[in-house]
Amino acid sequence: MSGEDRFVLCMLAPALAILGLLVAYPVGLLVFDSFFKVDTITPHIREWVGLKNYIDALTSKRVAESGLRTIQYSVFALFFEFTFGFCAALLFSALPGRSRWHRTVFTLPLMVPPIVAGLLWRFLLVGNIGILNYGLVQLGIIRDPDAIAWLSDEDIVIYSVSFADIWLTTSFVALVSYAGLTNIPKDLLEAARIDGANAFKRFWHVTLPLMRPVIAVIVIVRAVDAAKTFDLIWIQTQGGPNHASEVFSMNIYQRMVRFGDLGEASASGTLFLIVMMLLAAAAYWKIWRPAHA
Amino acid sequence: MRRTPRFNINGILVNAAALVLVLSYALPYVYLLMTSIKPAADVQQIPPSFLPAVVSLENFREVLQSSALPKAFASSLAVAVLTTVLSLAVAVPAAYVATQYRRKITTLFLLFALVTRMVPSVSLGMPLFQLLKSLGLLDTIPGLVLAHTSTAVPLALLLMSAFFEGVPKELEEAARMDGCTRFQAFRKIILPVMIGGIAVTALFTFITSWNEFLYALLLTSEATKTAPIVIAEYNSVYGLAWGAMTAAAVLYSLPVIVVTLALQKQIVGGLTFGAVKG
Repeated sequence: MSGEDRFVLCMLAPALAILGLLVAYPVGLLVFDSFFKVDTITPHIREWVGLKNYIDALTSKRVAESGLRTIQYSVFALFFEFTFGFCAALLFSALPGRSRWHRTVFTLPLMVPPIVAGLLWRFLLVGNIGILNYGLVQLGIIRDPDAIAWLSDEDIVIYSVSFADIWLTTSFVALVSYAGLTNIPKDLLEAARIDGANAFKRFWHVTLPLMRPVIAVIVIVRAVDAAKTFDLIWIQTQGGPNHASEVFSMNIYQRMVRFGDLGEASASGTLFLIVMMLLAAAAYWKIWRPAHA
Repeated sequence: MRRTPRFNINGILVNAAALVLVLSYALPYVYLLMTSIKPAADVQQIPPSFLPAVVSLENFREVLQSSALPKAFASSLAVAVLTTVLSLAVAVPAAYVATQYRRKITTLFLLFALVTRMVPSVSLGMPLFQLLKSLGLLDTIPGLVLAHTSTAVPLALLLMSAFFEGVPKELEEAARMDGCTRFQAFRKIILPVMIGGIAVTALFTFITSWNEFLYALLLTSEATKTAPIVIAEYNSVYGLAWGAMTAAAVLYSLPVIVVTLALQKQIVGGLTFGAVKG
């Protein structure tokens, strides 16, 4: 081994050790546990059950429902975050003067802890004292403040809890998009203008294709984060009412902590991990790569 | 750096739209601030009012005089500082060789860090619970630091790699010509140049740990509860104490927001760095 190789290994070793102990080993243990009947309180006592935990998880109605809800939540949140954030970025880059002040205010929610965002939106939406419904009454959109029970109506709660997510992360989309937009060479847009392309055509044929890698990164990062959401929903509803806002991560948590079924929770946790990896890999190959070709 | 309008919309109209957008975006947090300075009894009045009729620090007094919250802030601070120090200590050297000494192992290593970012906390939380239990570290500060480090190291690696990409290889070569060993070149020449990037990475690592909820919920109980856990508990333990809850939420989030606004330029730079380069 050359001196250079030794140096590389020495510099890498502490990080390798930490990631090995705190990520690789736990993931191995997670997969291992998923083949056993094992209790959260006594994890040293285990009984081999093969694929039973996986079969139980995949045939459970509650698991399937929580998985479906995770998709509903993620798609809804991602759609609005992306639309609002991208439009805000376009607006900022269209400002005649500098948009520095606007972007400063927009940075604010970026650092608001998710638990505070959840709490705040619960306070805005909660029955009786939620100010949002009073605002809607003033605007004449609804007749009385009890008309929409955001957090206690089982049919809409999974969408209501995503408002906090949308508020919290629109700024991330806006700021990353804005940075991407400022990287587009101005002469390209100018050339298109001289060729007679109108604003819409310039956006569709110049801006959008050039933004493709940036959009891909935003969608991947945000989709993975939205699918993993736990704290934001937990503080608003704890998964209620009647499990109507219980997403997949919460379902796993409940089975580990409340029901103490570590084996079955581990099987779900492993499935969750695999789905996230596949999602990221698919997004990477489908959206990101062609832009480089 | 004046920008020309990209669309043929009247400049005033664009400005007005941006202003309305930005103000309405800030409104929810302003309402939180306003609520926290209302007298506790006014917080739950029907119908609610946006502005406080009377300004009172009653809610803040209550949460600061309780024993739980100040102790939780101390735990949160200790965990976040230790997580930041540990994560940077291992991630900065690794990110340096991963970008400046490219070979198969370093590429694989960065890929592994990227993949790690996709792992759901709830999946990793279960085996981490067992690991800490067998080490006797459940409900201790070092235990939670280890859990947070599992998230913080990949984040710090990716951010620092983006910063190290900008460092020319010649910098180290020049130092080696002057008789430095590789390690001396890294410590005496490279690190001082990177101080800005390290500071941004440290801030991100700190905030990640400060904001973290799920690991704290799984891995701590009475002895080392962090601030978000105590704030969430205002729900059940004290009934629905909205006044106290909003005051605690302000105390918990405002310091981070103030620091963020002060360092806004650097932070946005760090945040958008990797994504835009992609």
